Amino acid sequence: MSAERTWQIVLGMLPPVCLIALWHGIATAGWAPAALLPLPSAVFARLFEQLHNPVFLQHAATTLFRLFAGFGIAVVVGVMLGIAAAGSRRLEALLRPLLRVLAPVPKIALYPALVLILGFEHASKVALVVADAVFPILLATYQGAATVEPKLVWSARAAGASPRRTLLTVVLPAALPAILTGCRIGLVISSIVVFLAEMLTSTDGLGHLLIYASRSFQTVDMFVPLITISLLGLLLNAAINALQKRLLAGFPDAG
Amino acid sequence: MSLKVASASAVPPLLACLALLAGWEGAARVLDINGLPPAYDALRELPAILSDREALLNIAASLRRMLTGFVLALLISIPVGLAMARSPRVAALCNPLLMLIYPVPKAALMPIIMLWLGIGDASKTIVIGLGVSLPVIYHSYQGARAIEEKLIWSAAAMGMRPAARLLRIVLPAALPQIFVGIRTGLVLALITMVTSEMIARQAGVGSILFNALDMAQYASVYAMIVIIGVLGFVLDLLFERLRAKLVAWAEPSHDIAVGTA
Repeated sequence: MSAERTWQIVLGMLPPVCLIALWHGIATAGWAPAALLPLPSAVFARLFEQLHNPVFLQHAATTLFRLFAGFGIAVVVGVMLGIAAAGSRRLEALLRPLLRVLAPVPKIALYPALVLILGFEHASKVALVVADAVFPILLATYQGAATVEPKLVWSARAAGASPRRTLLTVVLPAALPAILTGCRIGLVISSIVVFLAEMLTSTDGLGHLLIYASRSFQTVDMFVPLITISLLGLLLNAAINALQKRLLAGFPDAG
Repeated sequence: MSLKVASASAVPPLLACLALLAGWEGAARVLDINGLPPAYDALRELPAILSDREALLNIAASLRRMLTGFVLALLISIPVGLAMARSPRVAALCNPLLMLIYPVPKAALMPIIMLWLGIGDASKTIVIGLGVSLPVIYHSYQGARAIEEKLIWSAAAMGMRPAARLLRIVLPAALPQIFVGIRTGLVLALITMVTSEMIARQAGVGSILFNALDMAQYASVYAMIVIIGVLGFVLDLLFERLRAKLVAWAEPSHDIAVGTA
């Protein structure tokens, strides 16, 4: 069993290691000039150096602020609407067609409108993050809440709990696994979207650093923000996974 | 019967569209700022854009790139997903790499890929293909993994070869899940297409949108947003129709497309 597990890990490491080796090979063989494809070691050295650079960290902090502001609003709105829709037929009938129309629309296309209405600063980027992250969270919450074992709800109601109290103390906790999954997807989406918005119009943030580097043909500095935001997404994803394991320790099908 | 069902399901979304337009019109009148023209002004721009040869060619070129990237991604992703489900080794090989690629903003690769392949169609098609592939691989994998093993054993016992089993048992059984992935992929193809064009700023729907913004033609900006929104909704609707025909035997999937960014 344990040997099997090690074998799996080795297999899994293979493709990323091969890709980096291939990248290194192409760069050192001189097939691509360093201006187009820098050495992987140069990129990672630069990444490490930037992680100690206060200016770079300032940009990263700006991005993180926008990311969490947008994600936080999306969680509050998405979970509230999702739970409420599961509890009320009328609200559900109202929300469903709206979601059907809005969910497949590329939210990034709204960004120019958000810039026109909310300006070039934080607000337009936060709003775009909300618009993109709210859908997976809302839908996951609604699906989780709508599929709660009806007997649980009946028992709570029979024991004298009001509909609202049942929603908060029975349905919400029972829907938690689904909500956390929605949040995990929403969080990764947030980190992608905030970066793209910063690439489109911005004077600060990680996305801006990529565009700035590409305008001055600093290839190494183009890779660094991209790797940083990807690592950030990976970390946030892992953090929610860990939270899910911890919070759902008592659930039968946790994980 | 089927007509009744179809018309019944078309009314609420139409009402939702009208409500959104009314909300927009109302907000524009109340806020009264340059950056938010009333819905009527924006919609009045639509005929001008849709009869402009240049704009139509741009939209057509965008859609062509999108479909090329989308189809290429399907051709690669579905077999990869199925192979991962049938062989634990392939799954162990691919899973960590896919996990690493998952949080990368695909459209943000545009400036780097443009350095290598230039500003033309190839870069955009590759970026779109990358954006589409992950959900399709994931759902093909999940669909093929959930197959009743007895089906495969029976086929093997009757002498069906592994390749035939994959094509005639695993693929059809996984099809409903694969379609869920393709639907998400289609929405993502459109998103990645628009985003990559907004970043490259050279041709296509996304660049028309940003050029209008730069030239302060606010009504045109909103008209383009409406066009892109309608494209997203219509593509999703058409695909749902197709899916309902092809896998009519499967349970209906969720009627809301999940999959953004």
